[in-house]
Amino acid sequence: MAGGHPGLKSFLPFVPIILLWAAIARSGIFPRVFFPGPWDVVASFANLIYKGILPDYLGDSIVRLVVGVGVGAVTGIPLGLLVGLSPMGYRFFWPLIVFFQAVGDIAWLPILLIWFGFGLTTMTFVIVYTVLFPVVLNTVLGVRSIPLEFIRAAQSLGAGRVRILHEVIVPGALPNIITGLRNGLGWGWRALIASEMIVGTSGVGFMMFDARRAGQVTEVLLGMILLGLLWYVVDGWILVPLEQATIERWGVVARLD
Amino acid sequence: MADLVIRKLGKTYLDLYAGRHVTAVTDVSLEIHTGEFVSIVGPSGCGKTTLLNMVAGFVPPSVGEILLAGREVKGPGPDRGVVFQNFALFPWKTVLDNVAFGLKMRGLPREERQGIAREFVALVGLTGAEGRYPNELSGGMQQRVGVARALANNPDLLLMDEPFASVDAQTRMTLQEELTRIWEARHPTILFVTHDVDEAVFLSDRVIVLSRSPGTVRAEISITLPRPRSWSRMVEDNTFKALVARVLALVRDSNATGAAPAPESPRG
Repeated sequence: MAGGHPGLKSFLPFVPIILLWAAIARSGIFPRVFFPGPWDVVASFANLIYKGILPDYLGDSIVRLVVGVGVGAVTGIPLGLLVGLSPMGYRFFWPLIVFFQAVGDIAWLPILLIWFGFGLTTMTFVIVYTVLFPVVLNTVLGVRSIPLEFIRAAQSLGAGRVRILHEVIVPGALPNIITGLRNGLGWGWRALIASEMIVGTSGVGFMMFDARRAGQVTEVLLGMILLGLLWYVVDGWILVPLEQATIERWGVVARLD
Repeated sequence: MADLVIRKLGKTYLDLYAGRHVTAVTDVSLEIHTGEFVSIVGPSGCGKTTLLNMVAGFVPPSVGEILLAGREVKGPGPDRGVVFQNFALFPWKTVLDNVAFGLKMRGLPREERQGIAREFVALVGLTGAEGRYPNELSGGMQQRVGVARALANNPDLLLMDEPFASVDAQTRMTLQEELTRIWEARHPTILFVTHDVDEAVFLSDRVIVLSRSPGTVRAEISITLPRPRSWSRMVEDNTFKALVARVLALVRDSNATGAAPAPESPRG
């Protein structure tokens, strides 16, 4: 690819969309309160930052996401290793995983609201629940796709069970584990916003729903744009570098540029 | 002293697709002496890989016994280094860390094992590639790493399972010459499995021909060719040609006289 600032290059595809949006808003087809232009959203962004509301809400959402993903990974990866490696573990946990995966995150909300009420516990449960399944399922897949010869090579070089686990199984399954975390993060982010809308008292999802109640369409749009932007940042600053440092370096997946 | 002793070894396994028992190897007895280079050749499906996997301890024998330096083989262990057909290098480790893996398992400190690993990387002619990852190397280079990794662990016996079958013909000849050079320098005990008769004769002190289905020892031929050996000399050498012709006839004969074509054992 040609040179140029990477941020600028990724911004380029959005230019026509923003121009179209601005043109429709300008034309006056829709009332401005319902269909504000890009400049209104930018003004609202500046205003909410100035008031300190936006940084607080963003911080709350991000902390919830980090905690949820952290707990989901810390429980999901070992569980996936157990299910992938042990036939007993597989027989016991697999039916449970299939069943509870199907129940889905948001479907838990009614009972969670009864048990825990509107608040952090409910939101944390939903996000951990959402992150857990892609991490577990992909870890199992990763463990099972490790070539038998890797294990045999390690054994014939004197590795015992524990060494094989962390020298062969974990790095061998890592490409899938990263895929699982990536999916988990994506789904978890959506589940978080949804649960903030329903049960939250702060956060980006809450801000959007609250703005709807107050008829602040600019803030609703601002929330939507922030969700997309934040994902872009998480993807570009955390996930892509992580993949480049590990699985692309090892040649497990091809680089896409 | 006989280093590796195999007595009346046999392997029967249940073929889940065919739904019946298949005998891959039967009544194999052989001895390999310390410092000897022995090849096993035979038509595909003769159970030579199964035999090697039993010696490696990856697959338990159904009958018979395998003794290495007097001890019975009961599973994989660092006394038997294995070089795999598909290299089986760890893609997440650099060349140096792959070669140092066995030493790490033995608990050698980092400095020491890297020093030893460097020597073996040099032995296989890969100095300069220590920090590279396997996917950045050609097939021939990857198998050099595979050989270095197995040798660096100083095994009593080196098991090689068609190690040069997945590289191109030119590279294969270079690797064969380098293997004889390494063997002449260090005299590791090698059990080498191949279906390539030229390769077996070129490399070995002794070639064992397995018959087809179930695999059993059909003949043993001593290879008395002088060392060091090189392909440029061998292609002209009448003794080499005669030995190849003799082994080939035995392999082909065992192929023709075999009963109905047996289902292949896994990568037999």
